[in-house]
Amino acid sequence: MYRAHLFAFCLCFMTVLLIALILQGFRQAVDQEVHWEGQRQLVSQLGLTDLALWSEARYTRHISQADLFTPFQNMPGAPDLFPAGSILPPAFSLPQTRVEVVRQESSQ
Amino acid sequence: MILHPGILALLLGSAITLVMCLQAARLGLEVLAHWDPTRSDERQLMLERKTDLISTLMSYALGFQIVAGLLYLYTLEDLHRLFIGAMCATGTLNANEIGWMVLLLKIVLFFGAAFWVHFNQLDLRTEDTPLMRAKFRTLLALVPLLGLDLYLQVAYFSGLNPEIITSCCGSLFRLGNTGVASDLAGQPPGQTMVVFFSLATVQLVLIGFCLRKRTAIGRYLLFVSTAFFFLATLVAVVSFISPYIYQMPTHHCPFDMLQHHYNYIGYPFYIALFTGVFFGLLPGLSLPGVRIASLRPVIERFEHRWLWISLVAHLIVLLIVLWPILFSPFKLFGGAFG
Amino acid sequence: MTRQWKLLDYALASLLRRKGKNLSILVIYTLTVATLASVLFLTQSLRQEATKVLSGGPDLVVQRLMAGRHELVPLNYADPIRKLPGVKSVQPRVWGYYYDSLKKVNLTLMGLPAEPEILVLLEGERPSKGQEIAVGRGIADTYGFGVGDSLLLIDAAGEKQLYRITGLFETGSDLLTNDLILFPEAELRRFFAMPTNRATDLAVSVYNPREVATLAQKVRYHLPDSRPIGKTEILHTYDTVFHWRSGMLLTVSLAALIAFCILAWDKATGISADERREIGILKAVGWDTTDVLALKFWEGLAVSLVAFLLGTILAWTHTYVFGAGLLAPVIQGWSVLFPDFDLTPSVDLYQLFILGMLTVTPYIACTVIPSWKAAITDPDSVMRS
Repeated sequence: MYRAHLFAFCLCFMTVLLIALILQGFRQAVDQEVHWEGQRQLVSQLGLTDLALWSEARYTRHISQADLFTPFQNMPGAPDLFPAGSILPPAFSLPQTRVEVVRQESSQ
Repeated sequence: MILHPGILALLLGSAITLVMCLQAARLGLEVLAHWDPTRSDERQLMLERKTDLISTLMSYALGFQIVAGLLYLYTLEDLHRLFIGAMCATGTLNANEIGWMVLLLKIVLFFGAAFWVHFNQLDLRTEDTPLMRAKFRTLLALVPLLGLDLYLQVAYFSGLNPEIITSCCGSLFRLGNTGVASDLAGQPPGQTMVVFFSLATVQLVLIGFCLRKRTAIGRYLLFVSTAFFFLATLVAVVSFISPYIYQMPTHHCPFDMLQHHYNYIGYPFYIALFTGVFFGLLPGLSLPGVRIASLRPVIERFEHRWLWISLVAHLIVLLIVLWPILFSPFKLFGGAFG
Repeated sequence: MTRQWKLLDYALASLLRRKGKNLSILVIYTLTVATLASVLFLTQSLRQEATKVLSGGPDLVVQRLMAGRHELVPLNYADPIRKLPGVKSVQPRVWGYYYDSLKKVNLTLMGLPAEPEILVLLEGERPSKGQEIAVGRGIADTYGFGVGDSLLLIDAAGEKQLYRITGLFETGSDLLTNDLILFPEAELRRFFAMPTNRATDLAVSVYNPREVATLAQKVRYHLPDSRPIGKTEILHTYDTVFHWRSGMLLTVSLAALIAFCILAWDKATGISADERREIGILKAVGWDTTDVLALKFWEGLAVSLVAFLLGTILAWTHTYVFGAGLLAPVIQGWSVLFPDFDLTPSVDLYQLFILGMLTVTPYIACTVIPSWKAAITDPDSVMRS
């Protein structure tokens, strides 16, 4: 019986820990509300529509603005992107624009 | 829409339950074909052992079925945000009419599996397991239902299209619309209340009567009355219980009360309702069993407990229904009634 | 009650007696739960973040289509929209992309309208004159610069332009501004060589958010070549994106789950001679098959509960304390600039239900039949061998 009680105690401990973690999450979400409010304000000030998560392509940077309507679609999961896209090699005529940093000391 | 974690879990769970029940049914067929309690050879012994496996499989299947039912409601709740016009689970159900069928089937399956497991346990407590054949025939009937459940879920979830504009509880249960749902909501709350509370009283009286006297007629009456009570409660939920819980005369949704916003009051309510109904139906359902000599003492031993559980569950349901009617400032009848 | 306690006690003892085997199952079980849980938690939190934050966005974005492609909107398109009842304001937005061929980074360039005077979450000053910009934290970290430094960018005419950085976005806003450069609107037009009577798209704000769908229809009626995108559609997009990602990852992890089930099945089937003898003796001393099955049930339950709880706690720690370090690459894709984000936990009962259904159910289903096979062991045959 001793073993079973110890085991039950461990289980209870882990359950309580998990519940505590989940409640902590709820509390954190309440605290976070202030930050979210700030970010919401920023979103409405700048009129942002998307998260800056995936910047590799137009349709991943602005997912919600991607075009689902044209015959040759540019959107995630677009049916005509995959098959031919994997057969064709990329054309290396990328724009030659670039970013250079000019440090404060050298510029002033 | 299939690649949603909740949907994946539901489909996986249903598929596993189906496979387990198929296995149980296969073994059941084998047992049905060769069962002969008079013999005591190797084969009969093996068959008896297989019945153990079948009951284990079915008990697990019932457990999964209960979890799956809750998960289904949760998933509907979670999906509603994807649909324009949906404010709660009702909206998701309306997006594709198969959803309601799945819900209905899940309720049927819940009761079916619960009764099966219960009678199986009773049966195993006797020496000669008299229900053997009846049990395995019902099992064979449950399996196609489980298959249908899986099929309908796949059809429902793959048919969901977020571009559909669905109607929600607001419009589904709106008075003046045509259709079953708004007919339900359109039931004059006063009338539904009278029906609900009188049926509830009948229930309590009948349970008390059955606790006192061991007559068959009381149990038959309780069975019939419980079935009516279940339906009446579902109608009452849409008609007046939800408006009282939500404190809003136009809000008729049966699922919103499961939400955090209403303190999850729906969980105790529905759990108590289902428990009360299940144990209220049991005495009536076991009446044919009482005629079997070996089963009779087992049933009589447990019946008292069933009736008490049912009574307590009924009281909980009544308490949850009455609380907002008596103690909240909200009045559905402009002071005339509540 | 006491009987069940004793069974549990015995089950634990028998689990401990075969430490190696059961520990390996437990570890793999826990890891399986932890992986699936991490996926669920991470995507759920990102979803929460997106819904919370993007709900501040424009009610309606109106794009223009020409020849089947997105096209700049003439500013006079705003007039018929402004006249629609229920429309509060129409704000032309000027924005576009800029590619750095050295670091292979895509940047988003955005024109800052005259209003508002003070920007939230910005350290430093708002870019107001020409040749001033405000930059997101991700760019500043990638290139290593700060407020006061300058950037050399190449404009549409191929000329090098020098821009002084007057503001940096605060760390908390990475998810929104990571790759963003803000210009004064007039300067960005000049940089892109965009005609002054055009904009990238129009952001419409309305009085009653419920009317957005109707307004979108009206916009489409008055301007047939326009494409209105409502805020609800934007939010739905993010809802589905993260569900999709999560579902994809889960489907991939299902292979691992199946492997785990096979392992569990195999371990449960291949019971050792010792174990067989043990069950044989139990039966010889009067245990029933159902008792052995109950014992097996407790064993399975003990393993499942420990693995489930431990796995979930591990996943929580991994996702919210260590920032989902192991999973981030999967979410990240090919992005060069990927924001660091502090995730806010968003775990509820629903996630735990899903998790239980995905892991515990298959494990139990896999072990039922092997346990039964073990339970029906005949004491006679065991003793004799």
